[in-house]
Amino acid sequence: MARCEACNVEIEGSWAHCPLCGNVVTGSPAPSPLPAIPLSFSRRRILRALFLISLAIILASFAAQLFFSHEFANIGVARSIWLGLTALWLVVLTAARKRRNLAKSTVYLVILVSLICVYWDFLTGWHGWALTYTVPILCASAIVALLVTVRLMRIESGEHIVYSGLTVLLGLLPIGFVAFGWVTTPWPSIICGALSLVALVIIQVFGGRAVRRELGKRLHL
Amino acid sequence: MTRETPTRDTWVRLDNASNIFLAARTESDPKVFRVVAETDHEVDPLILQDALDHTYDRYPLYHAVLRRGIFWYYLQDSDLRPAVSPENQHTCAPIYQSDRRNLLFRVVYHRRRITLEIFHALSDGTGALWFLTDLVGAYIRLREAGEQQDAPTQVDLPSAHPTDDVADAALGLVPDSFAHYFRRRNRGEAIPDEVEAARELGASRPEAAEPRLPGERPAGLGRLLRPLEKRVYRVQGTRTPDNRTRAVELTMPASEVLALARAEGVAVTMYLTAMFFEAIRRSAGDLGTARTLSASVPVNLRQFFPSMSPRNFFATVRVEHTYGEGTDDLGSISRALEAQFRPLASAPSLARKLGRLIKLETMPLLRIIPRPLKDSILRLMNWGNNRGLTVAVSNLGRVVLPEPAESRVGRMLFHVSAARPQFCAMSHGGLLTVSFTSPFSETGHIREFARQLTERGVDVSVAAARVTEAELTEAALAGAA
Repeated sequence: MARCEACNVEIEGSWAHCPLCGNVVTGSPAPSPLPAIPLSFSRRRILRALFLISLAIILASFAAQLFFSHEFANIGVARSIWLGLTALWLVVLTAARKRRNLAKSTVYLVILVSLICVYWDFLTGWHGWALTYTVPILCASAIVALLVTVRLMRIESGEHIVYSGLTVLLGLLPIGFVAFGWVTTPWPSIICGALSLVALVIIQVFGGRAVRRELGKRLHL
Repeated sequence: MTRETPTRDTWVRLDNASNIFLAARTESDPKVFRVVAETDHEVDPLILQDALDHTYDRYPLYHAVLRRGIFWYYLQDSDLRPAVSPENQHTCAPIYQSDRRNLLFRVVYHRRRITLEIFHALSDGTGALWFLTDLVGAYIRLREAGEQQDAPTQVDLPSAHPTDDVADAALGLVPDSFAHYFRRRNRGEAIPDEVEAARELGASRPEAAEPRLPGERPAGLGRLLRPLEKRVYRVQGTRTPDNRTRAVELTMPASEVLALARAEGVAVTMYLTAMFFEAIRRSAGDLGTARTLSASVPVNLRQFFPSMSPRNFFATVRVEHTYGEGTDDLGSISRALEAQFRPLASAPSLARKLGRLIKLETMPLLRIIPRPLKDSILRLMNWGNNRGLTVAVSNLGRVVLPEPAESRVGRMLFHVSAARPQFCAMSHGGLLTVSFTSPFSETGHIREFARQLTERGVDVSVAAARVTEAELTEAALAGAA
């Protein structure tokens, strides 16, 4: 075994210099009990920085829209492109971040895209298209997509049930839009609401126990 | 042994001590630790996998994955199976990643070493040692059975625990021992006598009349507001290039160190802690105005409050020494530390401390705080706590394995990922290993520690993991030559 005379210690492994004091060692090297692992650099820090910068730019973009009131007819096309790009960026960011749980990702996307559309509608002078068409269609397609996805991908009920439940509950919201008279035509909301009720019954019949168990776990105080 | 109901219905909330590990983990300190047994031959991965399969079946807790609820984290049973792998990551590499449902431990091997690495939220040193003991025991038995031609194919694989149902149940996802012993109960459940006695001595006493022991710190916010005149020295250094833990292992004859400690009339842990303080002081050159050095020392609660659960069940005790106020020789420091440590690491003092912590945890207002916010609060508390700590030391003591493993295993050791310089001591087969871990590349304090030992005639051998680019290049060149 090698030896460092300065520290008066034996050294395991093939060190030319003492790992403690840096002096040259004497004697023959012995095999090290610890492997030499190459340096590795994680991309996590840079990804986190990029994520935060993206989020800041997206939020700033949405906020900046407030300064262009809808009287500026000439910015109409530019505004749509700007909002569309920002919304797309946010969707990609969310989908990438929540990619490990499809059901969770769906809930996030439904909420985010709905909010963006409502804001968009508000910016362009409240024609009511967001609440009448976009939100009900979004919710309804999310419910159908989830019902199909969990069957096709054989996702275990415990993994998705809370988020599926949330999606279905979101689907009931458009009924409220009709009740408050926020919509120009009630049909999309009624169809979405009806679909949610059907999905709710399906979940209750086939996964009622799983829902209660999962909620009990997650809400445990 | 098969589990009766391997379902995902089984879950348990994470205990008081474990939550802090989730809140306080960072890139350089992922709150992972490893325990290692070094055998007398190159490890056979196939037999090791076989042994792991046997041992894994006995420990339902180790099947658990970590999940996030709204208010708490919880451990949930899984159907995953572990696989042994060659050691291809640095020591204490991260295990838990949020959103990924993987096992919270890994078993790796390198040359003669069998290594168990665990995310600290799952288990503590004692729990991990039980698992490793069973794993190594099974491995050695299977290997010896393989060597004998006429051996029966069925190998008896006894465990480190009594094999009755009670003990086996304790290895599962049972409620934590903290709740068992320290949660205030009002339904007249039976409380073991020793706890009752400890409560009589401390826990049930009114808060105001409670005499504070020297070194015991005020609870809550008081601990953040440390008096300024006692500034605690904190080691600064260069972080390792990829944030890995720097590990250096010192191996020495246990009897020689024991004799040195006995000569000073103190236990080995406090003797080594005093030596650590002295090593930090020597390598720092000048402590400046921060002349107080302090150490956090985990205490295994199972020695006072019997528990068969491998889940976390420990508390930490803080000891300190201020240089320049009286005698500063190694013997005096170690005796002073011992005098602080003994009363703090006693059943009444620990019962009182934990009673307070559990009371905090069960406060209705704190319970309804959502988990991410709880994490931030815990992180802040941990930060405040860290400000008052120079080093951490941990001693698993002398380990004896059941035969035939005892005679086939040489030294045993453990590492902990570190937010500050730290050492982990453990002895087996007459060899004491003191493993230093640190987030910094510098090894000055380890050099001074080793030199103090060799000055006193102790034979020390050093094994170090390579962390810097220069060190790794040297290894690559040596390998090529």
